[in-house]
Amino acid sequence: MIGTVWKPEEEILGALQNAKNIFVVGCGGCAKVARSGGQLEVDKMVKLLESNGKNIIAAGVPERTCYIQFVRTFFDPKMSELKECDAVLVLGCGGAVQVVRQATEEYGLVKHVYSGLNSVGHMDTIVPGEYFLEQCSECGDCVLNLTGAICPVTKCSKGLLNGPCGGSKDGKCEVDPERDCAWVLIYERLKALGQLENVSTYWEPKDYSKAARPRKLVF
Amino acid sequence: MKLCDLFEKGKFVVTGEAAPPKGTNTAKMLSEAAPLKDMVDAVNITDNQSAVVKMGSLAASRCLKDNGIEPVYQLTCRDRNRLAIQSDLLSAAALGIENVLCLTGDHVSLGDHPHAKAVYDLDSVQLLKIASGLNHGKDSSGNELDGSTDFCLGAVVSPCTEPVEMQVIKLEKKIEAGACFIQTQAVYDTRLLEDFMNRLARRNITVPVMVGIVFIKSASMANYMNKNVAGIEVPETIIKEFENTPGDGLKAKSLEITIGLVNAYKDMCQGIHFMPLGWTDMVPEVLKSTGLRP
Ligand code: SF4
Ligand code: SF4
Repeated sequence: MIGTVWKPEEEILGALQNAKNIFVVGCGGCAKVARSGGQLEVDKMVKLLESNGKNIIAAGVPERTCYIQFVRTFFDPKMSELKECDAVLVLGCGGAVQVVRQATEEYGLVKHVYSGLNSVGHMDTIVPGEYFLEQCSECGDCVLNLTGAICPVTKCSKGLLNGPCGGSKDGKCEVDPERDCAWVLIYERLKALGQLENVSTYWEPKDYSKAARPRKLVF
Repeated sequence: MKLCDLFEKGKFVVTGEAAPPKGTNTAKMLSEAAPLKDMVDAVNITDNQSAVVKMGSLAASRCLKDNGIEPVYQLTCRDRNRLAIQSDLLSAAALGIENVLCLTGDHVSLGDHPHAKAVYDLDSVQLLKIASGLNHGKDSSGNELDGSTDFCLGAVVSPCTEPVEMQVIKLEKKIEAGACFIQTQAVYDTRLLEDFMNRLARRNITVPVMVGIVFIKSASMANYMNKNVAGIEVPETIIKEFENTPGDGLKAKSLEITIGLVNAYKDMCQGIHFMPLGWTDMVPEVLKSTGLRP
């Protein structure tokens, strides 16, 4: 899922300073799981905005806000509210915010669309409901088959491919003593799997053209 | 003078280290390096060490050369992508730099610009391979150069960083990629160094090794390094010795300990790299007392 967290309240209120009538849109996908844009959080945002003098014209949670078809299904019955509002505030990832903007443009509207969240990465659920961790940065050229399914691109702070820097201490990373050094983990796992030879040969520099943005999938 | 030529002649090579200034005033760097002149074979110039912004190591290396001291130009992967790194290496060759030490580089989060974007387009092994390519007249995309470089390339290893086997695997890759001398992180334990050198011997690694020694200035500095500097383990016995030394005797104690270490190491390795952290005036005394220099 895409990890999201609330922006500071002042930043949200600052973005909305010239808007009186607000339409709040959450997301029933990732932002719900990340506890930042589900129904609960949308209700909380409505209260916050009301207590700051805003008029909430409508509020709701599409099934997935980064899917244009779900956003259309959500907005179709609320067209008069959408037309009437001064701004749409989206509690979704940065992609969801842009899909909402796309929807308003498709309806021929020129609306302010603001984000209430910061997107903080591709997150895996490690402990359900409690602990989420970024383990893949979608580099476009996956090396997990050679590293015992531990990603050096994402889990090593320097994204090193040919082995550890000299910076790990007691198995922890020089950047954060709370976090395991990815290369110590890779070493231990490959050793256990009898595959240390995977990292004994030279690895070429990464082909970053595969990560050149924006990427797309077209069928 | 290339360090590899000295090793080839069988010389026991000694290097020191100096940091470029935080600013444009090179006076302090040069006065710190002055006692090393004619005493050591070369002086490492650090590259934004600890991710703290300083004068560039290339300009500072050239500055040292202009003052009659052979530099070892340190180059890290932290701040430059492969275009900038190759361009800097070509510039270094144009400025007469002969020795380049290739490192990963401390992470930006540890320095004075923690909000900067860390680059690490390459790692240290790839940097060595690309620098070797420039020596052979090709850039990393295989394009021909009009005039190749001729660097003596060095690499680093951290003998006290666990797992040591992984450090050695990476070291082998560095040698394969073109490193012709090795500089270690500071070592304070003779037994540990012996184990490490035996490990290299078992793997038929014959590239010359220079053992690093940071001058310890006090017990608190040793404790600080143990806690915060990766790959450095100062034994309790040394820390105790400093604890039992009054303030005005600390430099003499540091000298005594360093002489002891050099004497213990000198038959196990092919060179010593001193990291004096300002106490460069101690280097000549260490070299004389250990018989490394007349
Ligand atoms: S190597 Fe890492 S970042 Fe790249 S695709 Fe695989 S898991 Fe993701
Ligand atoms: S300590 Fe380990 S995880 Fe951290 S940057 Fe170095 S190799 Fe990567």
